[in-house]
This record gives sequence, C-alpha cells and structure tokens, in this order.
Amino acid sequence: MNELLQYVITGLALGVVYALIALGFVVVWKSSGVANLALGQLVLFSSWFAYGMLSQAGLPVWVGIPLVIVFALILGWAIERFTLRPLIAQPILSLIAVTLGLAYFFEGLVGIIWPKSVASLPPLFPQEPVHIGTAVIKQEFLWAAVISLVLFGLLTLFFRYHKMGIAMRAAADDQKAVQACGIPVTKIFSQSWMFACVLAAVGGILVSSIGNISKAPLVETGLQAFSVVILGGLDSFLGAIIAGPIIGLAETLGGGYLTKLTWEGIKEVIPFIIIIIVMFVKPFGLFGEKRIERI
Amino acid sequence: MDLPAGTRNYNYAEDMAIFRTRTHWFLLIALLIILFTAPLWFGDHWLGIANRIGITIIAVTGLNLLTGYCGQLSIGHAGFMAVGAYTSALLVGKAGLPFIVGLFGAGVVAGLVGILFGIPSLRVKGFYLAISTIAAHFIIIWVIEHWTSLTGPNGIMDVEPASIGGLVIKTPTTEFYLILIITILAIFAAKNIARTRVGRAFVAIRDNDLAAEVMGINIFRYKLTAFFIGCFFAGIAGSLLAHTSRVISPDYFQFKDSILFIGMIIIGGLGTTTGPIFGVIFIRLLDEFVTQLSPALQTAFPNLLPGFTSGIAPMLFGLVIILFLIFEPRGLAHRWQLFKAAYRYWPFSY
Repeated sequence: MNELLQYVITGLALGVVYALIALGFVVVWKSSGVANLALGQLVLFSSWFAYGMLSQAGLPVWVGIPLVIVFALILGWAIERFTLRPLIAQPILSLIAVTLGLAYFFEGLVGIIWPKSVASLPPLFPQEPVHIGTAVIKQEFLWAAVISLVLFGLLTLFFRYHKMGIAMRAAADDQKAVQACGIPVTKIFSQSWMFACVLAAVGGILVSSIGNISKAPLVETGLQAFSVVILGGLDSFLGAIIAGPIIGLAETLGGGYLTKLTWEGIKEVIPFIIIIIVMFVKPFGLFGEKRIERI
Repeated sequence: MDLPAGTRNYNYAEDMAIFRTRTHWFLLIALLIILFTAPLWFGDHWLGIANRIGITIIAVTGLNLLTGYCGQLSIGHAGFMAVGAYTSALLVGKAGLPFIVGLFGAGVVAGLVGILFGIPSLRVKGFYLAISTIAAHFIIIWVIEHWTSLTGPNGIMDVEPASIGGLVIKTPTTEFYLILIITILAIFAAKNIARTRVGRAFVAIRDNDLAAEVMGINIFRYKLTAFFIGCFFAGIAGSLLAHTSRVISPDYFQFKDSILFIGMIIIGGLGTTTGPIFGVIFIRLLDEFVTQLSPALQTAFPNLLPGFTSGIAPMLFGLVIILFLIFEPRGLAHRWQLFKAAYRYWPFSY
C-alpha cells in the first residue's frame, strides 16, 4: 500500500511539471497556430544550459537561474524572429516541419557543446526525503510541484488581468480582429515563444533536479508534454493543467504495476498509448474546442 | 507537361507519356547506362552509400505519396520501416519463405500497421496526426524491443541474404543491382500512382479535404489507401535494409530518422516525383561529407569543442531544413524545373 501512495504523490508532482511544459505549447498554439514539436529539445537545451551555468561556470543559484531564464527569453525571441516569422501564413505542414528542423538543430547543438550523456545539477533543494504517511518522497518532487503550481497561479493572473495577457488571449481568439484593433500580432507571437521557452526552461530545471540531466529522457519529457496537450485539448489551459497530473499518474502507476504484467519499459510508452486511445475516442481532447470548418 | 516548344501531342498515348521526346529518351538511357555500370567505377564505399541512398529513396517516395500528395503528415516512417524489416527477416529466416515473399509480406504488413495508425487521420489532421504518428513510432519500436521471443534480445543478428531464384545476393555489387531495380520500379510506380484517379484524389484531399469530400471523394477510403501505400513502400525499404545489412536492431530505426525523412521530402520538394530523389541524395551526401570532413576539421582546429564530430551533422540537417523552408519551400525539384525551363528557352530569357 505504501508503494501506491508513493506512486500517486510522485506521479502528481511529475505531472504538474509536464503540465507546465505543456502550457508553453498551448500558449504558442493558441496565439499563432504553430505546433511546436521542438518542445523536448527546448527542455533539453535549457537544462544543459542550466548545467553549464550552475555546474560548469559555478555560478550561485540566485545568479544562474535568472541567467537561464533570460537566456530562454532571448532564445524564444530568436526562434520566433528568425524561423517562424518568415513562415507566417504558410501551410501547417511547413510550420510543423520547421519546428522539427529546430529540434534537430538544438539536439546537434547540445551534442556539440555538451558531449557527455549524463550530468547532474548541483542540489537546488534540500536533500533529506520527506515522509508523508507511509511514503518516502524526495523533496525535489514536492518543490517541483509547488513551483509549478505557483507559476500556474501567476500565469492565470497574467492572462486574466495584465494588458499583454489579455491581448494574447484576444489574438488567440481572432488574429484579424486583434490586428484591426491596433495590437501588433507579431509582438504577441514573439512573446508567446518567449513564454514557451521560459516554461520549458523551468520545467527542464525541475525535471533535471529530480533526476539527472540527460539526453534522450529529457527529449521524452517534451514528448510526454505532447500527450498532456493531446489529452487536455490543444487550445485549453485548463485542459493542460488537468491532463498533466493524469499523465503523470498514469506513468508512475503504470510503470509500477504494469511492468510485471507486460514488458519492461512500459512506463515510457504509456503516454503514447494514451495519445493513440485519445485519438480514437475523443480526438480533440477533454477540453479542446472542436472547430467546425468551412470550405 | 512542359514540353519543348513545337512539340505537339497527336494522341492520348503521346499525351500521357512520361518520356516524350527523343532527348528525354536519350537522357533516360544515358542515365540508366551510367547507373547500371556504376559498380565498375564506384568503390565499395560509395557503392554502400549508393545502396543506402536507394533504400532511403524507396521509403521517402512512400512518405512523399502520403505526406506530399495526400497531405497526411507521418513522423513515424522509420517505425513502419522497422515493421517491414522485421517481418521480412522473420518470414525468410524463421518461416523459410523465399525472399520475394518476404519482400512483399514486409510491404503488406507494414501497410496494414500503417492503416491501423492511420485511422485517427479520419477525424483529425495536421498536428494531431503528426503526434499520433510519433506515438506510432515509439509504440512500434517498443514492441519490437520487448517482444524478444520473436525479435531477439538485441535485434536479429543473422538475417538471411536476399536470394532470387538460385541467385544469392551477398556482395555489394549484386545488392546494388537489386536495390537499383526495386528503386526504379518504386519511383515508376509512385509516378503512376500519383497521376491516376487515386493520386488525384490524394491531391484533392491535401488541398482541401472538406471540398474533396463534397466533390464525392471517399475520404475514408483514400486516406487509408494513402497510409497503406506510403507504409507499403516503407516496408519494402525496410525489407531491403534487413537483407542487405544482414543485421537489424531497433537502433537502425530511430525517431531522428523519421524526422529526417520529412526533412528529405521538404528539401527535395513536396508532391513531386523527383523530390524524394533529390532530397535523399542531398541529405545522404551532406551526411557523408560531414562524416569525412569533421574529423579532419577536429584535428586541424584542436580548440573546437569536443562534441563537434557527433553534433555537427544533426545541427546542419536542422539548419538545412529550416533554410529550405524559409527560402525555397518548393524544394530542389522546383529548382530543377526552373533549370529545365531555362535550358529549353535558351538563348531567349523567356
């Protein structure tokens, strides 16, 4: 029984981090209609950048982390400005493919700068495990969940009350109308990418403070974020926040209990199996808006 | 069809001909002679590269029918290739069937798996479909990795060499001929599928699926047909890969390859017959160029970062894909068309 509690708590905590990364996807999708398939690679790149700042350059946390955030902002701006802006109004295939190109590019870049396959961040959070009931949980999980939840709160407030947040929601609703109101849509696009990169960076740091900084698993974190958006619905913030913990739970519970019944490594494919099931049953997700198309 | 000035078609056969003028035929025969004598003047190294190029062209031609003509983005094509490779290796190795049966079996099984994962395409498109094919890739590879009673603990190490009749295809030269012939057949088949009723239905679906449905095209049937044909080609390619490399493991079919296939059709030109050929040759030669050059660069400039050799290739691929999308979204095939037009009108500029 205490395994169950353990799985539930770690799954929820991980899921909240996935939801955070997924939110970065949703912001970009809603404001500019671009499907960012380079999400995993953004997580990868910013985690390794954090490693470079904190471990290799030896900066203290309170300097290093803000530097990573600033770097993520610049990265998001650059991605939007140099690769996506020239492709505005191109078919969706080009928009998806360009993010695949970015994915390749970042993976290569990380390979060039940080050739080792595994590294670890200096401990960001207190190390002693916490006892909740009968379960023993690494404190990082709880911190990750708390930080993610705080960020959710801030983002919700931002989108509800801040002028820019309202403009972004408006752009998501109707780009042309927003443009007619005199809001620079390109600026909104670039901000949405900055958001996505910052969320990916924070998510990456949280995930890699729980485990190690690695190569393939971090990219898979991004892929898990896809299953969160698919389950929650592509254009729904609420969907991402609810679907995140579901995916996290499915992953830890499935990894814990199904491994004996099926084969090893079921943990990694559970998100993909969920994607396929969602596609068959409810393709627009739990909270996604089903668009009615016209010819 | 863009024909040289003054060429007129007097009957349907002439109108439908792929190779219409005498120059066309001359160039085709010259190209075939060059290709079929290639083993004489290619070394084994380049022959190996040519074999890989041929296999990739087959897979990418299938992907082009699916993505370029029918507009259904598949980022799991390496997974479907893996299905073909394992099917063929098992049919020939364990069931003892002849190679030809293995080859077609690989195509059919990969096609059926493709249909299975293509079913979501009936309700969703664009990004949703991209994600579900990504999921397909990972699920397929996971099944292959863990179904060890069938697929071996680390892949299949002793795949039978291909053999047709009594002829066992073991040397790079014979493998080259096998792959060359099948590649030519595949390109020819793809060209003809693309201009029949089926192919034009694909294009209609790509351009606007709702409009196509209103026009009376059975979307359900044609989308799944596209998945079947696209994955059939991938299965054939996988089978050839299995029987020529003689070793297969899940590492041969990485997610990166699936992405790279998409990159190849973009660089070559979506929805053109020549596109996959250009794209595959471009990327494979770039790959070869980088692997030859980067160790030299590493020794020439010792203060380069240590991961330079391993990381430069993916970085360049990504960059090339992005640059093509921004500056030449119609790909190399379009450049080739422009070149041909310029050649025809020479010395007049228009």
